[in-house]
Amino acid sequence: MSDIPSSVKPIVRLKDVSIGYELANPLVTIPDLQIYPGEIVAIAGPSGVGKTTLLRTISGLLQPISGEVEVCEKIFPSKLNRGELGYIPQKLGLIRHASVWHNVMLGANAGHKSAWNIFPSSEARASAMSSISVMGLEQKTNEPIRRLSGGQQRRVATARTLAQCPKIIMADEFLSELDEETMKMVLSATIDYMRKNNSSMLVVEHDITRAKSFADRLLVIDDGRVNPFITETTAMEVKV
Amino acid sequence: MNRGLLFIILITIFIQALLIFDSMLGSWDRLSVGAGTLSNFINEDVWPPDWGVFDPTWSVSCSASPRFDFTCSKAWIGLIETLQIAFVATVFGAMLSLPFSLLAARNLNPRWLSYSSRFLLASFRSMPSLIWAILFVIVIGFGPVSGVLAMTLYTVGYLGKLQYEAMEGMTKPPLDAANAIGLSKFETSFFVVIPESANDLISQAIFMFEYNFRHGTVIGIVGAGGIGYFIDLSLMALDYRSVLAYLILIYVVVIIIDLVSIFARSFFTEEEDILIPSWIEVFTPESIISLFKHTKGQINGKQ
Repeated sequence: MSDIPSSVKPIVRLKDVSIGYELANPLVTIPDLQIYPGEIVAIAGPSGVGKTTLLRTISGLLQPISGEVEVCEKIFPSKLNRGELGYIPQKLGLIRHASVWHNVMLGANAGHKSAWNIFPSSEARASAMSSISVMGLEQKTNEPIRRLSGGQQRRVATARTLAQCPKIIMADEFLSELDEETMKMVLSATIDYMRKNNSSMLVVEHDITRAKSFADRLLVIDDGRVNPFITETTAMEVKV
Repeated sequence: MNRGLLFIILITIFIQALLIFDSMLGSWDRLSVGAGTLSNFINEDVWPPDWGVFDPTWSVSCSASPRFDFTCSKAWIGLIETLQIAFVATVFGAMLSLPFSLLAARNLNPRWLSYSSRFLLASFRSMPSLIWAILFVIVIGFGPVSGVLAMTLYTVGYLGKLQYEAMEGMTKPPLDAANAIGLSKFETSFFVVIPESANDLISQAIFMFEYNFRHGTVIGIVGAGGIGYFIDLSLMALDYRSVLAYLILIYVVVIIIDLVSIFARSFFTEEEDILIPSWIEVFTPESIISLFKHTKGQINGKQ
């Protein structure tokens, strides 16, 4: 991180964080992780090592077993400001019976409307419209999610996050199920957004080669399946 | 679980139920004697139904044309009033139960809040609609308003339970996404939970309407209006043929409500390949449709 000025504060900071679902049996401990504005960090590793658990912990959905999790200058359990964090879960978290517009507006409202306002702002509408168009979903705007293909649904989840304009995007395997061309389109739209807004992204990526292709840094969590010399689950940072 | 063990457990439960029933019955001869009595009762007093219940009643001044004079009959007046009671009670009940069920869902609220709401809903549900009806007949007097209030309170308790169970059954990722991006409880409830559970909520509301319609016949007996009032009059006059005609009418309406439910739910079905049925398909038995399609195919084939 030598190229980042010392005055720039990290958007995510983890210090000796143990994660997991059982107090006595943490999945992995992250000694130190800092993500700065504009950075893409990918979490890679074999299945079941705790990649999604780490993402959920940083997103404030899961309490860390120990250690300090700080996101956007708020230390857990303090709540983040509305719309600061964008989240694309592995199963996308879309409302299957609602339209593409309804789903994207959820993100747009989180980012551009106060919780006390019942009606969406014109800014939120414009942001939703623009992200639907960036994802090439204009023809599907009024279509219910359940009628879309898996790839189209991934694009809707990405559009929801882009419409929100978050400071940091948490994405769990958001490029899987996409064909090569669509994957490039989704990735370039997301990176364009990040560069424009100086936002960061933490992405869980199963495919290490693909992760290397777009991430600035890689956090590999391994339990010995990638590196046989490792005897217990360890997180290590790898520069790309 | 081992299949053999499961089979033994199920057989044991069935035998236990049979033994309890045997002890209640005393002698199995009672059933065969009862069947004979029932047969005599149906042949002599119940069958055929008395469709005279659709004749215009003298108590109403009828302005309908002769073709539609059945709309001045006791059966029609009672049916419409029961449908009105069921409709108003279902709409009011659903509107009141929805906020309580949102509060009662454990995946949306802290335990103290969800359990308080559950206890409140249980208190409405624990008193049968018939008892609510008696209570309101005492407080307000005879008529459909007592029926509406009784049904509304029961609907809040019953529908509320169905609704919060449907909400708790929804998948976690949409809630996770809503929480992570910072949507408020209100936004999560109305823009995430309700649309996601729409299929169940609609199905339950229609079921509740059907339930309220069927029970509307019971609460009418205690003077809370509707077709039940006329059934009660016929029962008191030992006019079982009219009672049968009323019951057939109720049965037909229940079937129609069920078919409407299929149509309404088809808008929210999960399967991609199920097409929304047309109204004709909803109201026509499948065998007739397939017969029609077959005939059409043959005609096309000849051409």
